[in-house]
Amino acid sequence: MEQLTNLIISDRELASISAVLLKLMNDTNATSAMLLDKSGQVVAVQGTGTRRNATTLGALLAGVFSSSREVAKLLDEKDFRNIFQQGVQENIYTTMVEEQWLLVIIFDKLTHIGLVKVLSKKSSDELGRTLERVRSDTTRTKSSVLNLQFRSSVEDTIDLLFRD
Amino acid sequence: MALINIATHEIHCKIVYYGIGYCGKTTNLQHVHRSIHPNARGDMLSIATETERTLFFDFLPLDLGTVHGFRTRFHLYTVPGQILYERTRLAVLNGADGIVFVADSQAEKFEENVQSIAELDMNMRRIGKDLMTFPLVMQWNKRDMPNVLPVPVLERYLNRRRVPSFEAVASDGRGVFATLRTISKNVMAQL
Repeated sequence: MEQLTNLIISDRELASISAVLLKLMNDTNATSAMLLDKSGQVVAVQGTGTRRNATTLGALLAGVFSSSREVAKLLDEKDFRNIFQQGVQENIYTTMVEEQWLLVIIFDKLTHIGLVKVLSKKSSDELGRTLERVRSDTTRTKSSVLNLQFRSSVEDTIDLLFRD
Repeated sequence: MALINIATHEIHCKIVYYGIGYCGKTTNLQHVHRSIHPNARGDMLSIATETERTLFFDFLPLDLGTVHGFRTRFHLYTVPGQILYERTRLAVLNGADGIVFVADSQAEKFEENVQSIAELDMNMRRIGKDLMTFPLVMQWNKRDMPNVLPVPVLERYLNRRRVPSFEAVASDGRGVFATLRTISKNVMAQL
């Protein structure tokens, strides 16, 4: 499938995503919930524990997920759609939303993995519907953000910052 | 795939440095990390083996600051160059917005370079992208070595699309920022 060139998240959709993450976090008593793009970019974060390291966590978790999908192919398995990483104190459950996003829940030993699995499936379905709206809205919104003036200023900034 | 977050006023783009083992991909990122203003970069993350070879990827987040109300960020990744990590390279390529192909200019590395660009072409098709139209910049690295091939030879066999290319000695920073500037602009132009 041809990948999209970009995804544009509007205020309304981000609010909707954040509400889903917050509800999931509260219902499971998790410490954090994140939505990542499969490229590793952080779409939204809820919870205080991960905010500072969100960018690096996003890159690593997306890398791990992408790598596990390659493992699935080598085993002639259709797909690995979920990953569970278990620590002494903290656990991470990652699940795919459609073919585009990763829903990540970070929780401690007081939360049961079964609850996380069930509720994240529900959240994942809701996020899938948001993704559909984002996909259909992306082309329309792009030109209003990435206008000529913006592009020219970004080029100037690149020249200024990326130099010897 | 770039992410434009209107709600948080952020734009995120992913640039991947691709090439054979020891061609200088990690060295490119290390130079950027060392030289750029600390406010414009995050910590560099390297997942390497005990012998400092890249095992999974290197990651360096760059922050251009706020431009017209939008905070623009480039995330630089390298792939592991060794042949056995082909599937890992594919995993890292996922969602890329631009690619820097770092070629080792030494004559004895020519064949490996040719194989690597052919593999890149195949991997791009696997993720539904066409390398012929994708933002791509070539870097002819290690120009300080005694046995380098002439640039026209590298251009003829590795750069058939005639995308922008730069001579470089990444270990002392030569050509590193010229390469980064060009791929960054190409990526922005494609958004």
